[in-house]
Order: sequence, then C-alpha cells, then structure tokens
Amino acid sequence: MVNGYQARSLQEALDILSSEAVIPYSGGTDLMKKANGNATYLFLNKVPEMKNIREDRKYIRIGAGCTFTEIIESELTPAILKEAAALVAAPAIRNLGTVGGNICNGSPKADCALIFFVTDSKLRLVSKKGERVIPISEFYLGRNHTILQKDELLVEIFMNKTGFENYCYKKVGARKALTMSRVSFAAILNMADGKITQCMIAFGAVGEVILRRKEIDDMLIGRTIPEARAVKENYLAAYEQAINPVQGRISAEYKKTVCMNLLGDFLDSKGI
Amino acid sequence: MISFMLNGTKVVSTARANEPLLNVLRNEFHLSGVKCGCNEGECGACAVILDGRLANSCMVALGSIQGSKVITIEGYRTTERFTVLDMAYASVGAVQCGFCIPGMILASECILAKNPNPTRAEIQAGISGNLCRCTGYNAIVAAIGIAAKEGQGLW
Amino acid sequence: METISKAIKKKDHDSKISGQALYADDYVMNGMLYGRLLGSSKARARITAIIIPDLPEGYLVVDKYDVPGTNRVQIIQDDTPVFAEETVEFVGDPILMVVGPEYNKVESILENIVVLYEELVPTFNMRKADTVFFDYHYAKGDFDKAQDEADHIFEETFQTGHQEHAYLETQGIIAYPHAGRMVIRGSMQCPYYVHTAVTKALGYDARNVQVIQETTGGGFGGKEDFPSILACQTAAAALKTNRPVKVIFNRREDMAFTSKRHPSVCTYKVAVKDNMITGMGIDLILNGGAYTTHSSVVLQRALISSSGVYKIDNLRVAGRAVKTNMVPSGAYRGFGSPQTIFALEMMMDHVARKLGTESLEFKEKHMVKQGDTTATSGKHHFHVPLPEMIQRINELTDYPAKRKRYSRQSGRYRRGMGLALSFHGCGFTGSAEGEHIKPVVRIRKAADDQVEILTGNTDMGQGLKTTFCKIVGETLGIPFEQVLIENPDTDRVPDSGPTVASRSIMIVGSLLQQAAEKLRQIWQTGEEQIVEEHYVEPKFIIPFDLERFRGDAYPTYSWAVNAVEVEIDTLTAETRILGAWGIYDVGVPIDLNIIQGQMQGGLLQGIGYAAMEKIDYNAQGIIRNNNFSDYSIPTAMDVPNLVTEVINNPYTHGPYGAKGAGELSFAGAAPAYVEALENALGVDLNKVPFTMEDTMGVLREVHHHD
Ligand SMILES: Cc1cc2nc3c(=O)[nH]c(=O)nc-3n(C[C@H](O)[C@H](O)[C@H](O)COP(=O)(O)OP(=O)(O)OC[C@H]3O[C@@H](n4cnc5c(N)ncnc54)[C@H](O)[C@@H]3O)c2cc1C
Ligand code: FES
Ligand code: FES
Repeated sequence: MVNGYQARSLQEALDILSSEAVIPYSGGTDLMKKANGNATYLFLNKVPEMKNIREDRKYIRIGAGCTFTEIIESELTPAILKEAAALVAAPAIRNLGTVGGNICNGSPKADCALIFFVTDSKLRLVSKKGERVIPISEFYLGRNHTILQKDELLVEIFMNKTGFENYCYKKVGARKALTMSRVSFAAILNMADGKITQCMIAFGAVGEVILRRKEIDDMLIGRTIPEARAVKENYLAAYEQAINPVQGRISAEYKKTVCMNLLGDFLDSKGI
Repeated sequence: MISFMLNGTKVVSTARANEPLLNVLRNEFHLSGVKCGCNEGECGACAVILDGRLANSCMVALGSIQGSKVITIEGYRTTERFTVLDMAYASVGAVQCGFCIPGMILASECILAKNPNPTRAEIQAGISGNLCRCTGYNAIVAAIGIAAKEGQGLW
Repeated sequence: METISKAIKKKDHDSKISGQALYADDYVMNGMLYGRLLGSSKARARITAIIIPDLPEGYLVVDKYDVPGTNRVQIIQDDTPVFAEETVEFVGDPILMVVGPEYNKVESILENIVVLYEELVPTFNMRKADTVFFDYHYAKGDFDKAQDEADHIFEETFQTGHQEHAYLETQGIIAYPHAGRMVIRGSMQCPYYVHTAVTKALGYDARNVQVIQETTGGGFGGKEDFPSILACQTAAAALKTNRPVKVIFNRREDMAFTSKRHPSVCTYKVAVKDNMITGMGIDLILNGGAYTTHSSVVLQRALISSSGVYKIDNLRVAGRAVKTNMVPSGAYRGFGSPQTIFALEMMMDHVARKLGTESLEFKEKHMVKQGDTTATSGKHHFHVPLPEMIQRINELTDYPAKRKRYSRQSGRYRRGMGLALSFHGCGFTGSAEGEHIKPVVRIRKAADDQVEILTGNTDMGQGLKTTFCKIVGETLGIPFEQVLIENPDTDRVPDSGPTVASRSIMIVGSLLQQAAEKLRQIWQTGEEQIVEEHYVEPKFIIPFDLERFRGDAYPTYSWAVNAVEVEIDTLTAETRILGAWGIYDVGVPIDLNIIQGQMQGGLLQGIGYAAMEKIDYNAQGIIRNNNFSDYSIPTAMDVPNLVTEVINNPYTHGPYGAKGAGELSFAGAAPAYVEALENALGVDLNKVPFTMEDTMGVLREVHHHD
C-alpha cells in the first residue's frame, strides 16, 4: 500500500511504528482535516485489541480505537462518557472519530478527554519495548503536545467502574450540534456518611490543557455540606485564580464567566 | 491497492492510501452524487454509508477501508427504501438546490435503519451533521417522518 | 386555496434526489485544466513584483495581461478588475490564476509564487471611510417641523454585520473555447450578467459568447455578481490555454473571498407627538467593501425600505455606501432592506417602551394601509393584510400574554418573545424593469405539442422550473408533464432579466402567462409554434424618479409578520429557540410546498444572521473564520418546527395572483429574535448578530446592578 500500512493486530502496528516513519491513524477525523498528501498513515481502525470495551476486576477498559458511537452504544461505559460522546460533532463524525484520537490530538477542547480527566482515568501506552499505565493528567505537556513517544500507541483507557453517577456535564458550543466546545465543564461529587468523599472538577477549552486541579478540589474532601459551605468562598477564589483562558476568537472573559457560573451552580445544586 | 465493496460490487482503487475517499469516489469511480461542500467534515454533503454507518467521505482515507462496504447515493437509489424516501421528500418539496440531498438521503436511511419510528428530536440529531442552507430543515424532518410511516416494515 | 397552489412534485426533484443532477464540479471534459486563483495577502497595497517559479510543462499563469478586452468586470459599474492591476484592495483580491492538468500541482505552484507589496494604509471602519461610493437622500413632508413640534425626540444607532451566503455548493465555473466562441458553464443566478461581463472582458462580439447555467446549489444573492468575476477570469485562462478550464472554489476560498451581506450602521431619529411618531430622520452607512458591485442598488432598497410598514408623514432619509478594504459586499436575500428593517423594528420597540406602551400596539397604530403614501410618496395601491396576519400570529403564539409574562422572570432559564413586521418591495427598484431590463420570454411548442419555456431565469433551488411550468401548463390547459424547461443557455433563451429581487414569478411569470394565453389562442396541434412576450409596465404605477426617490419604488409589496420565542440559559448565555413563526402574504402561492420552503429557509437564514453568524476579521483584514466550523450556520438541531403560513391576498397584476416571495421571509427574523432577547433580558439591544458572548455581556451588567 502506498502511503499507508494497514495493521491487523497490535503487534503488527507496533512493529511498523517502530520501524517506519508513519502517523497513527485511528478515526482520521483530525488528520484528514489537515489533509496532507505526503503523509504515510498507520491505519489502526481495524486493530482488534484497540476496539474492545471490557471490564476487568478494577476497571472498565476502553480500546483507544472505539468510536464515539461505540462508546454511546456500549453497555459498559458510564453515562457521563456517553453524554459527552453524544455531543461530539454529528453522527457522520461520531461513527469515525475515536476516543483515542480525542486524547492523542492534544486538544484542550476534546470532549471525551475532559471526561477521562474528571474521572481520573488512566492511559495504557504500549510500544514494542513495553508498556506503561499513566494517569491522564500526566499525559499532556501542552496544546498538541503529549508525552507519547514516537514508537508508542495509546491502546486503552482505564476508567474506574463506579463512582461517576452523580455527575454534571455541560458543553457550551456555538450551536447545538456540530460544534467544538467553547467551554466544557464536568463535575462529580460523592458523599459517604454525610461527608464529601470525592469532588472532581474539570474544565475544557480554557487553557493549553484541560484544567483539572485536584489540590483545589481537595479543599472540600472530608467535609460535611455545611463545612464545605464555609470554605466555598476560598474554593471559588482558588478556581477564579486557576482559570485563565487565553484570548482567542472567543473572549477570555466569556469563557471564564461561564466556568465560574457553572461551577457555582454545581455547588449550589449540592447545597454548598 | 485497496479493495472494497462499492455499492455491492468489489472494486480496487489505485489511489494512494492517504487519499480522501470522497476524491476516490468522485474522480476514480465517477460517482458524482457524492458532493463536496467543505472537505473538512463539516457539512455532510459527502456522506456515504460505510459498513452500515453514516460517514463523511472527505474524512476517510482510502487506506482505512480495505475490505469495507461503501454505499453511495448511486447504489442506494436502486433500493425499495430509497423509493419510500424519494416519495416522502417529493410530497413535501424537501429538495431545493439539491446539493445537500444525497447526503441527507443517506442520513435518513441511517436514522430509520437504527430506529424505524424516530421522534422528531431523533430525526434532528440524525441529520445534525448535514447542513442545508435552503430548506430550514422543516421539510426534510417532515419527509423522514413520513417515510417512517409509509415504509412500515421496510426498516 | 387556489387550485394552482396545490403542491406537486418538483420538476427537478428526480434528478436531484437520485444524485444524477450535474453541478459545475461534476463536469469533466477532455483535456480539461484546473485553475486556482492567487489572491492578495494584503488588504491594501501596491504590487511591486510578482516572482513566478519555473513552471512545469503544461502549467500556465494567467493575469491581467491575458485579458484581451477590458480588464474589468461589468457589474453595474466596472471598477472590479478581472485580475488586479497596480493595487490590491482587499485580502483575496485576485492577482492571477495558475492553470494546469493537476489540481495538486496547481496548488503547489501557487504556494511558491511570491508577490511583493508596498503596503498602503487600509480602511476597515466604515464610519471612517473616506471613499463614498454612493450617496443618496430623499425626504417626504417636513422633518424639521416635526422635530420642532415634537413632545419627544429619540435617537439611537443600530448595527448589523456581514453575512455569508453559505450556499452548499461553492462557486464554480468552466470555460472553454469552441469554434471561435467562448462557452461558459457553471453555478450562477444570472446567465446574461455573466454574458455581458465575459463579452466585455474578452472584447468579443456578444454573439461569440455562450453562457449555460448548470444545476446550481443555492444562491441567495451570492451567485448574482460573483460568477461574472470568476467567469471573466476563467474565460481568460481558457482563451490563453485554448483548453477547457475549470475553477471550483474550496469552502475556505469561497467564504473568505466572495461577496457578503453589507454590514451597516444606521441612526434613527424619531419625533413623537401625542404618543405618535410624526417624523423620522434616518441615516445609513453601508460597508460596500473594496468594489462597488451591487452597492448602489442595495443602498437604494435599504433606504426605500427604511420606514418599513409604517406610515411616517415626515421623513428625511440619507445613506452612503462606502469603500473599505474588505471583501466586496454584494447581493444577499433582502438586498439592504433587512438592515434597515432591523434597525427600524428595534427603534419602534424602544420608542414604544420609552412611551410606556407595548411594542406591538405601538406598531399597529402606525401601520400603512391601502391608499396610504409610501416612503417615496408613491402609493400603496393594494390591500395591506397586516391586521389579519397579526391576528393570526397572536392566535398561534399567544404573543401578548407571553410577552407580558416574560417581562418579569428570575431563575436560570429565561424566556422571551419578540415580533416583527416587515415587507418586501416586489421586483426591481423603480423603473429598472421597463427602462433597463426590458425582459423578454419565449414559449416554443414543438410539432409533438410539447411546450418548452425559454427564459433566462435560473432555478437554484427556489423552485422556478416548477412554478414556471405550472403557470404555463395551467394557462394552456395542458398537463404539467407536457411543459418542459431546461437550464438556461444564452444561445437558446432570450434575456428575461436576472433571477433576483423576487421578480421572477411576478414579472417573468406574468409574461409567461401572457405568452401562454397567446399560444392557447393560436394553438395548432402538430405544428411548431413560437410566441414571444415583452414587458410593459403596468398602468397604475406612479413613475419612479430615481434622482429624487419619488414615485412607486415597487408596484406592490409582500408582507410578513414573524415571531420568535427564545430561552436563555443565564449561566452560559446559550439561547435556545423555542418557536419561530411566520405569517406571509405572497399574493397567491404558485405552489404551497415551494412557498413553505422559501419561507422556512429564509426564516432560518434570518435567525442565523441574528443569532450566530459572524464574520471575524482580524486587524490585517483577514477573515479568520473562513470555514463551516468557525462560521456557524444553524444545524437541524438549532431549529424548532418552523411554523409558517400564507394568507390569501391575490395580486391583480401577478400570474394567478402571485407576487414576490423569495426574499420576504428573511427580514423579520432578526428583529423578532432580538426583541425576544430584550424581552428575556429586560434591556434594549441594538445590533445583530447578537451572539452568546453579547448576551453574557448583558447578563454580567444586569448582575452587577442587582
Ligand atoms: C466536523 C468535525 C467536528 C468535530 N467535533 C468535535 C467535537 O464536537 N468534540 C471533539 O472533542 N472533537 C471534535 N472533532 C475532532 C475529532 O473528531 C475528535 O478529536 C476525534 O476524537 C479524533 O479522533 P480520530 O480517531 O478521528 O483521530 P485521528 O485523526 O485518527 O487522530 C488524531 C491524532 O491522534 C493520533 N492518534 C490517534 N490514535 C492514536 C493512538 N491510539 N495512539 C497514538 N496516537 C494516536 C493521530 O496520529 C493524530 O495525531 C471534530 C472533528 C471534525 C472533523
Ligand atoms: S465535504 Fe465532507 S463533510 Fe463537507
Ligand atoms: S437543498 Fe440546498 S442545501 Fe439543502
């Protein structure tokens, strides 16, 4: 095949990747947008190891090559991920684009990547030399810039099996479909014995990388609702400081206002 | 060389693997019913049915479809289901300039294939990637609803 | 309902739905070359040098030296160069074309051409523009006196933005020399405009140019002037290479370098006495962009429409279309009137609020009726059905009650309801039809009794092939199937004027009805017969004096009442459209489906204009959002079920009672939408597009004052 290699297995894909100058091609919806007649692609869309969605003892394991549609149709994927996937573009893109591509493109606007961030999901990166599993928060170095090595593929995403039911997700785009996020927001708050056990917040499209600040969210952990209310002002102030959208075609002021509004509303909805 | 099933026939393309399927269909196989409205995945005019699902052919590199099944309007128009959609579209005058229409018809097929009795919202979502500047979508949404009714049993 | 209104399957339905219809890009000819334009990268500059790399065999550069006639595109004036001369006037101003057998190679050659510029200071702000293309004014009554006697004088300025046509098929032209002539085929609204322009650019005898319209994937005004420019360039290339040359724009080129709706700044000064408006002073600036194209006539219509559906006895109206170093503005559905109607409707609403009355009541008190004078001291000769239409929209929407309810809200989601009254003057402005256009139509009956319609008018989706055939079939008393119509070919059809200005049915359709009537009377079965019909201005018209803007600017008007209901999420400023309604008077619909399609399509374009469509220029004059992801038009999920209805108000001088329809549906959407936002937000607003970011600005303000 000129200008392309079709991998039939992960092993084959890794072999080609380690020996040829190729660009991994998953769903192609980012790559084809910047059509490059000289590119040599390594087609991953028929690699079975990257197309599974399964459960092991600890995790839901999502193949990086699963399309948004497959995420939506799966019985294993959590609602928060399904909701985000369903708001990506439109059917003819959701049938092609994959969660792996969504993560690897390095965009802070990527809708499913936001969900993997807020759920503290892990990424399984594999090369011919071996593999590593890292938290998604360590994956990004900047816009379009990740720690992925040239010979490495993202093969699976590991999500915890439970704990994401009490979520809030909001994508704000220019219109109701076929739109990139101008701001996106995901939040999860869990309580046990009257105390907050988990508070996870993430914002998309407001910086170089999706914004997820555990240390701020930790301010609420272990507190009762009234106690959380008492630190609410500090908590919000910390986010106020952390969120510094870059001025682009969409004003930074707009983005920040929306972020703070959504965060405030989320806390309100929990009585905080 | 990539081979795939095109409208029910096995074909072999000599184009490069990185070539957008849209160009292959239009230039090599002369399927001019597949339209190019943007070349960036944003309009749906180039939509085809790829392995049973709607896909914008400008976003598909030829090399990714080895062994796949591709249906374009040229193949679909010979089906009984097409006839039902055709009549439904005609009955409400849903075709104006026509440029979005081949993609729209294939999107309609995919909506009904998935759900023979779609709600209005499901129809809207199903065609949300197919831009139409002429109709305001009303007639198209209505036509898909009519086809669902008229085509009982076909989908 | 009249029998002719009953919908039938459209003439072009089968070929389009099956994907068989051929559009410009679908043609491939032997030896065909592909062309691509190199546009200026500077908004205003003198070209000092063009450095062209060695060209591979078979590739050529075409520029101003290759235009054998006049290097100017005849539009209304001829200031638009075919290829740039000494200077460039906007980013994208075409400098040259590269042609050759492979598109990709053409592209890479283009990338390696270097143009050196001496930059000049560009103008982007229309208020500061020093070149005035056109400057018109007119008056009625005595506005000074009205001001002197007024209880209140209100003044406010409104702004509207660029709008991209976003037809789904981009611009495309094929040109090829054939037997000493030049043939042009492509996507276009007005084959005879193209014919005139190419004839002049090539310096040809008019007989040696042939223009054929191909199936056209939407126009909306965007294929009114631009195809003339592209056709001249492509023809020059075909002549130089002596081969067929095809130029199809990609979406980015199309969005960045082709005409747009004129942005406007419009100031209304309103004199009120005893709670009634006694006078209006209106001052309009239209941003014409780099060349004049259609700015003169757009400005005329904008000014004539500026007091809308209201009877204002004392008027002073002035406007200028100015030059900026931006993409030339051109025709777009509504042709200037949506800009002033937006400003006017908002002004009416704001004045009403200041006077403590409800907007609709206040508007109703000022509405024109049959017999009233028009803005230009002409006459409303026919019944104005606005009262019935308002009644109907109130029934459908519960507008007054909702509006009241929505004026006091709290909570995250806030709703609003807005309503706008608008009209569209049918046909060309003034006496153009009789003086300049002089339309001609022909009907040819073949020996087999098939009847063919021969006009220069084009179907670009609006259904003209179907409506023309219905009119002729009905008049002849023969089945629709027996009437044929092809895409116009200037070798075969007479010049029946351009397909613009909502004139096709009212003017050309009328001529066809007359021609068919003639043919019916002389019908000889089994014989070939041809009838021809020429336009004669109806007797009732008060002649229009364009110097003074006096007389009947239009023979009649189509009327519209629109309502829009929105819901704003105050956390994100996202605005959902809960409902959009339109009640329209288009005389008698020649086909109900087609009219519904025109009404709904126009309504949604209008909502897009108001809510989300924004052209984003950077400081260098480059359009940054030249693609469908960054320039958003509504998707199917952005619209509710659009409720559109037509009322029956036959126009005595139109075919079967029909009058103009295509543009009418546009203008009311924007003011209705923004009025709905006002209702939800409790403030006065004065611009479109009014985007989410703008709404957030208001919400922040309101929050501040809470
Ligand atoms: C019209 C349109 C609308 C869109 N709308 C949205 C939207 O609403 N929300 C959104 O988030 N995105 C959107 N996108 C962007 C895009 O669809 C998504 O980011 C998608 O997830 C990309 O996945 P893919 O499989 O198509 O990526 P590809 O194009 O195949 O790849 C993207 C990048 O990741 C690399 N890569 C892919 N898979 C792997 C892997 N397994 N290992 C290592 N590297 C890999 C590729 O080399 C490439 O650099 C849109 C795109 C288009 C064209
Ligand atoms: S041409 Fe493929 S989506 Fe527009
Ligand atoms: S019919 Fe013209 S774009 Fe849909």
